[in-house]
Amino acid sequence: MTNFTHSFIIPDVLLLIFPFVVIGIRLFVTTQSKVPWRLANFGFIAIFFLLNFIPLASGNGKFFICNWKVDDFGVLMREVLMVSALLGMWLSKDYFEHGADKKPQMHQIAEFIGAIAFATFGGFVVVSACDLLTFFLGLEIATIPMYALAAWNKRDQFGSEAATKYILMGSVATAFELFGFSYLYGFAGSLHFNEIQAAVASGTNPLLWVSVLFLFCGIGFKLTLFPFYTWAPDVYEGAPTPVTAVLSVTSKATAIAFLVVLVYGPLSPIQDKIAPLIALLAGVTLFVGNLGALKQSRLRRFMAYSSIAQAGYIMVALLGPATMAKTSIIYYLFVYAVSNYLAFFVFGIIGHHREETFNSLRGLSKQNPSLGIALAISMFSLAGIPPLAGFFGKFHLFFSGASTGHYTLVAFAVLNNVIALFYYLQLIKSAWVDEPDNHLNPLRLTKRQRNVIILLSCSVVVLGFLPFLSDNIFAGFTH
Amino acid sequence: MNTILFNSIWVLPLLTVLVCALIPASYSKTLRTIHVTSATLVLGIVCYLTYSVYALSGTPSDPAAAPLALRFFTDIPWLSVFNAHYIVGADGLNMLLLALTAFIVWAGVLVSLHIKGNQKIFFALIQLLATSVYGVYMSFDLVLFFVFYEMEALCMYLMIACYGSGKRDYGGKKLTLTLAFGSSMILATLFGLFFESGANSWNLIEISKTTLPMDFQMWAFPLMFMGFAVSSSLFPFHFWSPDGHSAAPTAVSMLAAGVMMKMGAYGCLRVAMFLMPEAAKIWLPYVVALLIFNVVLGPFIALRHKDLKYITAYSSISHLGLIFLGLAALTPIGLRGASLQMISHGFLTGLFFATIGMIYERTHTRDITEMGGIMRKMPFLGVGFVLAGFAGLGLPGFSGFIAESTIFIGAFQQDSTITRVVTVLAILSITTTAVYILQTANRMLHGPLPQKYEGLTDGTFREKLVIVVLVACLLFIGVCPGWISEILDQSIAPIFAKISAAGL
Repeated sequence: MTNFTHSFIIPDVLLLIFPFVVIGIRLFVTTQSKVPWRLANFGFIAIFFLLNFIPLASGNGKFFICNWKVDDFGVLMREVLMVSALLGMWLSKDYFEHGADKKPQMHQIAEFIGAIAFATFGGFVVVSACDLLTFFLGLEIATIPMYALAAWNKRDQFGSEAATKYILMGSVATAFELFGFSYLYGFAGSLHFNEIQAAVASGTNPLLWVSVLFLFCGIGFKLTLFPFYTWAPDVYEGAPTPVTAVLSVTSKATAIAFLVVLVYGPLSPIQDKIAPLIALLAGVTLFVGNLGALKQSRLRRFMAYSSIAQAGYIMVALLGPATMAKTSIIYYLFVYAVSNYLAFFVFGIIGHHREETFNSLRGLSKQNPSLGIALAISMFSLAGIPPLAGFFGKFHLFFSGASTGHYTLVAFAVLNNVIALFYYLQLIKSAWVDEPDNHLNPLRLTKRQRNVIILLSCSVVVLGFLPFLSDNIFAGFTH
Repeated sequence: MNTILFNSIWVLPLLTVLVCALIPASYSKTLRTIHVTSATLVLGIVCYLTYSVYALSGTPSDPAAAPLALRFFTDIPWLSVFNAHYIVGADGLNMLLLALTAFIVWAGVLVSLHIKGNQKIFFALIQLLATSVYGVYMSFDLVLFFVFYEMEALCMYLMIACYGSGKRDYGGKKLTLTLAFGSSMILATLFGLFFESGANSWNLIEISKTTLPMDFQMWAFPLMFMGFAVSSSLFPFHFWSPDGHSAAPTAVSMLAAGVMMKMGAYGCLRVAMFLMPEAAKIWLPYVVALLIFNVVLGPFIALRHKDLKYITAYSSISHLGLIFLGLAALTPIGLRGASLQMISHGFLTGLFFATIGMIYERTHTRDITEMGGIMRKMPFLGVGFVLAGFAGLGLPGFSGFIAESTIFIGAFQQDSTITRVVTVLAILSITTTAVYILQTANRMLHGPLPQKYEGLTDGTFREKLVIVVLVACLLFIGVCPGWISEILDQSIAPIFAKISAAGL
């Protein structure tokens, strides 16, 4: 092993083996849910730290037929995905436990964790792919476990409906992507990114534009861009809460990573030419998302529209130069993940005892002040109010977009924030202003839920104005 | 040492919040003691530093901050990703505004000691609001400035919607969203300032040394100026203020009208006009035209209202209009008058809302037609209200007179017809102000006392203390304005130098 130069692959291999181990233990050793849970905790945290502390975490090589390259963006994106996987797993824990009066809401924790790990691994592949084939494989590995996750409560009719919609829409998206890839291959005559980039740089023709259009359509489904976002509210509403959270972070992060790899990789020579397309998609998406959220009364449907709008905001950053865009997107994904999971943790606790609607939040701040504060923190962060992390995240994104002179789009996005603030305030109003309703079941927090909520709230408050996270990400790109 | 004290102005309230977060809400007396101590401590520090700034005047200021005459200058790298720094400093203008804020926060904490609801959260929010206002006045880095500027939105909504009265949710939302609209207009232009100036810095002083491209200034200046003006309720963005103020609890009304609305005018002067003087010269005459609403129609609307807080809100709208008149005059005297008016109006509107709050706590109504004869039962509060009114209508001896007459002189100096016409109209509108203030005082304080108010008592010691201190401040500025002007002039000189150097 003295000459082993491929140490950058260690976290990926570990993550790939991991689900087999967890499911294997569940099948052959013990059926207790504690074991896979502890193993997953240990494994996810270990992989996260491996990513942080292996200085050799970047490099490139060829495995079988896959060209593999791990750069700074890849490493940081892996960390985002690991954070999301870990939080998603923590969130799901309560759903596998027996309530005081009823059966657990979900079963088979080992397989669930395995599916999350597979989806995360798919994201790993997407950010390290160097050719279209690997790229496509990664995207599919990331997506297919999501179909299973969405249908986890197979007896629930809304869940099944959601999963069906998701599979149908996802397959159409995949078809679009494959079509785009095939034209791209036809245009460049090679699958490898470097050669495609060279071909794109040497000249364009309509074939390339058709391919770009199809690629954007395909990824538009997964990133919930206008006009392909319509599936999101139904799926977010129908899927189990932890799955919705994973869907809104991991799946979105993977999709945006896909775009980053494409725009700053093979398509970088024509970035200024596709900028109008990106700007249009960004502007319309965030506007539509914000408008859609205005009239919602169910929490997860509301979060679906909110996350559609967030996708629009992230797109704004894609207009900037490579380093700036990548830094801002990674940073934003971190704070978005933390804020979003915080919201879902609160909704999850509410969902355990009540219906997941705005009405269930009534009097929250009076009965459970800590939950009320956590909710306010996460909503204000998602709305981009300083000094919370969400503001600095959006500031990064807009900074990237404005650096190439897209002031109009940035101004539009910033003004849209006012609409966003309106609907987040609606939610805060339910929790803070409305009088408690005695017909609602009381909420109980376990110690673990409490700790996680405190941890996430503090992160949301601190990650923004303390330069720790953003500086580290920035240093990752400029060392 | 003074620099550390200066930085502690915004850190102390934040520390108070953190300390109080660890104390259970049932220890309400301890919590109140901590908050009062903290507010008093900050007030002491600010007064001491204001005096230091005065004592230091004439000595050379920090060379790193030239051309601005800043003391206690601190510049620490903060977010390296976009080169944001932590830059704070004090010149006369912001030091006086800090002093104003400290007084109002102190008074606000004292008047709300017995507020209903979760006191722990309420006081935490007040301290957060104080942090944000202090931060706005102190910072000279645009990112830092904006972070503090928009932080208020977070506190304001919760305080109004949870602790307010009447249409509190509506008022709170209206206020927060309108202010957020204003700050998003500012944010949109901030990026332009960074990239178009070529300074690659958010440092206000660095950007002021460059000349921004004219075509950029032409769209950015109105956007930014109006963005700031939203929070100072310049027409047509004044509509949030009456509803917001009337729904807010006393302390929040005091803070909102007393110090938060000055943040907008301060931003107009410090950021918009200072960085884009060329465009300012072109656009400000249009602002003067908008002022006709604020200064001329504002008092007439106040005349028609029956709710005390609505009357005060419209009176604020007209007084804040005068600040913009001073700014738009673009003369040193006008700018000095505008700054004086910011401070003077802060104290007087603080006093106004404080007395209204105290009276409302007793009568449970703010409708002046239902009140009468209050002077007999509450002479102290009544006199406090009347004195605030006198200061508001510009009675010599109070701060209002000094500030308004300076503005009128400054504005009349500018030889543009529209400014002069508006100045004359503004001077005439003082008559209307006198009418509504005297009419309100008359209906409320004199006449027959309704039966239900027989049992009312005068202010407690705490309330009297607040009134006495605020009245003393008003008188102090009114009687020895030279002291204040001396501090102000050294900070206005560099701003005016930049404006007068700007060619068209």
